[in-house]
Amino acid sequence: MNVDYQYLVGKLQNAFATDPRVSMLDVKVMVCGGKIHLTGQVASEERRRAVAEVVSEVIPDVEVRNELTVFEVTQPAHPEVISA
Amino acid sequence: MLRIAAIADVHFSEDSSGSLRAYWSQLHTLADVLLIGGDLTTHGEVGQAAVLAQELEVVQVPVVAVLGNHDYHADQADQVRRELEHRSVIVLEGESITLSINGKRLGVVGTKGFGGGFAGACGTAFGEPEMKAFIRHTERLAAQMEDGLRALNADYRVALLHYSPIKDTISGERLEIYPFLGSFLLAEAIDQAGADLVIHGHAHHGQEKGVTACGVPVRNVALPMLKRAYAVYNLEKREEQQECQGVEEIANRGTEKQGS
Repeated sequence: MNVDYQYLVGKLQNAFATDPRVSMLDVKVMVCGGKIHLTGQVASEERRRAVAEVVSEVIPDVEVRNELTVFEVTQPAHPEVISA
Repeated sequence: MLRIAAIADVHFSEDSSGSLRAYWSQLHTLADVLLIGGDLTTHGEVGQAAVLAQELEVVQVPVVAVLGNHDYHADQADQVRRELEHRSVIVLEGESITLSINGKRLGVVGTKGFGGGFAGACGTAFGEPEMKAFIRHTERLAAQMEDGLRALNADYRVALLHYSPIKDTISGERLEIYPFLGSFLLAEAIDQAGADLVIHGHAHHGQEKGVTACGVPVRNVALPMLKRAYAVYNLEKREEQQECQGVEEIANRGTEKQGS
């Protein structure tokens, strides 16, 4: 990776926002030991894979540690009463 | 009492079909209306809006929505809006709707809102044309919100936004991006006109509950934060309207200080 790390993070986050497969503004990117670490939460396994694909396209041949987790949607909680 | 279901940031794409249908098909047992606070799609494409519109067909109560920043990205915001309206979703931008539900009138004023930041650390309409345009966009939407709320003739008044009007409900996000998450101008407009509830999204890492300076409840219902298919707020009328004590107390303190 012949690019300064802080520019690399910016470049990846821009790609995550604008690539239609991802369209996410809140993927956390860390560059450590020559590897790209991805953390945060995504809505689906497809989205999780797509984030890693985008990294590989932007920076070929880099090792990606994909630690993104898929969040589960559950039933609504009890209603909250609000006085109007 | 009115039962309001609310969600935001569902970020629908072509592969989202069926993800919320089971929950939404039962929504009418808990709520009288569904409000959606923007970021309906991942990329703002009309095909993604079509998937969401189809998913919403199982909802048996009125659906009112505003668009979010993601819904503008593909420059198809007008088509996205039309696609949703074609499937009976009420889409608001600087507009209002009054719904008659169980003999009560629910007034909703909706706008995407915009950024700029919060008092003490905010942008101003100063300098380059781009900076002026940024802040003036927020000012214009806030003014529309205030006018819309003032004009409502309803038993309950709700402000529906994508961007946040207060800092409380974005707490948890990085401080550096606060100016891109909302603006105090929106809260000021709401407090000037009055409202019973504010719904917004946008802040995936924020908090659900907050309050404006004048005591209007604010709820962030971003799906990635709630991790629930929707939240439900039961609005109940109280006998005595609470006045904006915060502002009055500050004013009184100022008077006492000057007099002492």
